Amino acid sequence: MIGQAIADGILTGAIIALGAIGVSFTLQIMRFANFAHSELLTWGAYLALVFVAFAGPGTPTGPLSFGWQLIAAALFAAAMTGLVAWGVDHFVFRSLRRRGAHPLTMVFAAFGAALVMRNVVVLFWGHGSHFYTRELQMTVELLPGVRMLPDQIFILALAVAVVVCLHLFLTYSRTGIAMRAMAESSSLAQVCGIEVDAVVRWTWILSGALAALAGVFAGLTPQLHPEVGFNLLLALFAAAILGGTGSLAGAVVGGLIVGLAENLSLLFVSAGYKTAMPFLVLLAVLLLRPQGLFGEKQ
Amino acid sequence: MLTGVFSYLVFFCCIVLVLGILTLGLNLQWGFTGLFNAGIVGFYAIGAYTHAILTAAPQPQYLGNLGLPWIVGIAAAMAATALAAWVIGLLTIRLRGDYLAIATFGIAVSIQLVALNWEPLTGGSQGLSRIPKPLSGVFDTPLSFNLWFLCLLAVLVAAIYFALERILRSPWGRVLKAIREDETAAVALGKSARRFRLEAFVLGSTLMGLAGALYVSFIGFVSPFDFLPILTFQVWAMLIAGGSGNNRGALLGALVVWAIWSASGVAVTKLVPPSHAAQGAAVQVILIGLLLIFVLLYRPHGLLGEAAVVSRHAAD
Amino acid sequence: MHRLIRVAMALGSGLLICGEVAAQGAACPVKIGGVLPLTGSMAPITKKIAQAAELAIEHVNQGGGVKGCPVQFVLRDDQGQPTVGVDAAKYLVEVERVPAFTGTISSGITGPIISSVTAPSKVVQITCCSTASPFTLDGRSAGYFFRTIPTSKTQAYATASETTKRGLKKTAVIYVNTDFGTDMLRFYKAALAKLGGEIAVEVPYNDNQPSYRAEVSKALAAKPESLLLIGFPKDAVTIVREWLSLGGPRAIALNNSMRTMDFVNGVGAKFVEDFFGMDNAQVAGPHVDAFNKSFEEKFKADSKGPGVHTQYDALMVMALAMNIAKDLTGPSIKDAVRLVHVPNGAPVGTGPGEFKKALELIKAGKPIKYFGATGPIEFDANGDVTGPALVWKVKDGQIVTDRTITIEEMQALFRRIEN
Repeated sequence: MIGQAIADGILTGAIIALGAIGVSFTLQIMRFANFAHSELLTWGAYLALVFVAFAGPGTPTGPLSFGWQLIAAALFAAAMTGLVAWGVDHFVFRSLRRRGAHPLTMVFAAFGAALVMRNVVVLFWGHGSHFYTRELQMTVELLPGVRMLPDQIFILALAVAVVVCLHLFLTYSRTGIAMRAMAESSSLAQVCGIEVDAVVRWTWILSGALAALAGVFAGLTPQLHPEVGFNLLLALFAAAILGGTGSLAGAVVGGLIVGLAENLSLLFVSAGYKTAMPFLVLLAVLLLRPQGLFGEKQ
Repeated sequence: MLTGVFSYLVFFCCIVLVLGILTLGLNLQWGFTGLFNAGIVGFYAIGAYTHAILTAAPQPQYLGNLGLPWIVGIAAAMAATALAAWVIGLLTIRLRGDYLAIATFGIAVSIQLVALNWEPLTGGSQGLSRIPKPLSGVFDTPLSFNLWFLCLLAVLVAAIYFALERILRSPWGRVLKAIREDETAAVALGKSARRFRLEAFVLGSTLMGLAGALYVSFIGFVSPFDFLPILTFQVWAMLIAGGSGNNRGALLGALVVWAIWSASGVAVTKLVPPSHAAQGAAVQVILIGLLLIFVLLYRPHGLLGEAAVVSRHAAD
Repeated sequence: MHRLIRVAMALGSGLLICGEVAAQGAACPVKIGGVLPLTGSMAPITKKIAQAAELAIEHVNQGGGVKGCPVQFVLRDDQGQPTVGVDAAKYLVEVERVPAFTGTISSGITGPIISSVTAPSKVVQITCCSTASPFTLDGRSAGYFFRTIPTSKTQAYATASETTKRGLKKTAVIYVNTDFGTDMLRFYKAALAKLGGEIAVEVPYNDNQPSYRAEVSKALAAKPESLLLIGFPKDAVTIVREWLSLGGPRAIALNNSMRTMDFVNGVGAKFVEDFFGMDNAQVAGPHVDAFNKSFEEKFKADSKGPGVHTQYDALMVMALAMNIAKDLTGPSIKDAVRLVHVPNGAPVGTGPGEFKKALELIKAGKPIKYFGATGPIEFDANGDVTGPALVWKVKDGQIVTDRTITIEEMQALFRRIEN
């Protein structure tokens, strides 16, 4: 039972982690709690659906329920959503930032943008559910008492690969280093000649791309509907904050902790309390380290 | 028979005044102390359920339902909320802005889940019913009861308003303002910022608990469904629309936002035939959203803006 | 700024007073109110329910209206929020002066409406869809609240009878953590206690979550041999898929909300063949068919769906009662509701023609017996209806009825369980 809970926790955590990375960096670099981030997950998932509608999910390759077409769809969605994220910032949030808007105004603006983005999806696809593939996979027993779908194992591997690539990007590429510099100290970074606009642009594009991947993974297991992002919104924020904003490791660890907390809690308390678990863990962490696990002390 | 319209307006104003108390509480926390409380609904719930558990008619399957008098319920609701706010404040006051928001939001979610799951005490998803309405024996028609309750609320709100205004012009209030405007200076002068913030947080939350108790004794029924995040959003909208940092603004904001919410529903029934009611309703939600964004963009300080708080001693 | 506020208040009061004056201008039209979640999480199912309401009003008007006047339906949105719903109900009762109204779906909103509007103002309220049993059983509505849908008790008892009949053992119960789910579970347990049968584990779930693996794993840890799933289609699809892929047993029992192609297609028709579900039976017959036909003709959509038939009946019953009542005051209408179905009455069914026939009988002082879109509508002492139940399953991708449990069998079942 506990093995299964841990496995499930890691799976959920991986998806939350991918979404939380974007939240974490926008929170730290732009000091902006972007409540529309969850809709980037939804948009990513639906954009992949569009691709799949034309190309088909592909005949199941090996033990997976889909073929390479779904991977291509995910990459397509990632690229498009990155652009969408940048676009929303460029046309909505940037003008408010330029006017020196109060943080509260930004929060409400993000709510408004989220409402619009979600309802555009409803307008085109309706309230009902969609599926990438109609297959019903059976889980395989990895260890005694621990079962996972081949799809989920693949997703996990892919998520790890993405995080590793991102880490390399942040450590060795110019833009990545610039992003980390701005995350640590915006004013100092500008003094060093870092182009703020470029960093902001890349932050949005990466956030959007990662969110899209998270959305596709969420939609794959097992269904896709307009609230798929919104239902994860608070878990994303809890993960980003508890890990410490502005830190890749923080977002990943935060995501895993949230996923594990949700699943392991069922061993002790009624499932009716499951949705509160991420917050209780967050509170516990913040009590001991108000800046989050990997965050910088203020 | 304009008594129908009058009767409805009385009911409407009762709701507005309850929401107004919530907004006054939030104003103290945000407008005067700068605390981003996104868990309003949690404190509202604590007050509401405490009152319900103590005053509802006894039933065999529930631990509570003690059938105690209304005033006991009100006092206990405020005390319980104050205590909870003190504990929560101790845990979260140090957190910076948006972290505090997420933390308080999470606490409110947890409180709602406790209400939903702890069936023997809170009635679980069924809620608690037959919560006695004060003096309903004396005022036994809907209009007379609502009118009496409106008077009661009006007196309470006036008392709270004047008390808050007094407190904010007192030395305590001046320190609070100093902390908000220049914390470093205030701390340098030996004021414990944390202590003052905590006190403001507790006081604001106590008002929210009072609002909860008043609401359930007006409606006579409570369920976890009353405490969903949408209400937190509405109260924030009321404060922003009315003008944070201004108690009259808070009350005005409550009236305006709730009036818009309600009137837009009426407008939909008048302008849209029932066959298109669903689309009309969706348009109503969009319009409410747009109106709020409009206010944010063009009157970012709300309808009344922040009040200039001048010390009582300024004339000395 | 203050001028703006004054103008706004004047406009607002003007709106209200216009409504009031129009209402007072003449006795006609007679208004019937409605409070439904047109927006919010219930919105997807409310669309058809509102259409059923519209159809009912159209039939009533075509058949002669109420007391010689046409009926105007005033529908308000409760947005899924109790305070909004209460405000809407109060508005309907006080400003629009509706003699009766229908609503709503969520019991979190129906509850406060009953205690702050319906009971104090003594106005009849008939709901199509609110199944929480305490509303009728604990006397809080002073007799003014009725529902045309059986409470979860009927369905739970019928489910228990079916699961024991099929020999389902060691049943895990996964149920939605709302009043609907907890009510069903409570009655199911009570029934099982008398009928024999064993619950392996009870796992609640909060809705709108992206994954239910944790809940499913917890249920499977108790090594159950069957599953009873109580909830709603969207999340149920996730739960069932995860249950099946984790190797859960295929003996699965479902509640009535799953009786929709959304659920069948979501899980996949070929995987659903071993499942069975329960529902309140719509007694087949000419009156039910007539309703289905007129719904499909008017809206070009299938009439199957939660609340559709019960909403139609709620409004037809209301209009009939308002005609039977000696005047349009609350107490008179309340007493007339049960006269809509009198044992020795002449049968009247659905549709404008039947309604006209009913009006003639009422005018002549003769008793009627209404057969609605959900079969015979007979309210018990509490304002509830009982009815037959049916067992459904999926065969070749279609939802079919496996067998019906008649009213007599249900009554016998009730007696056996409640002694």
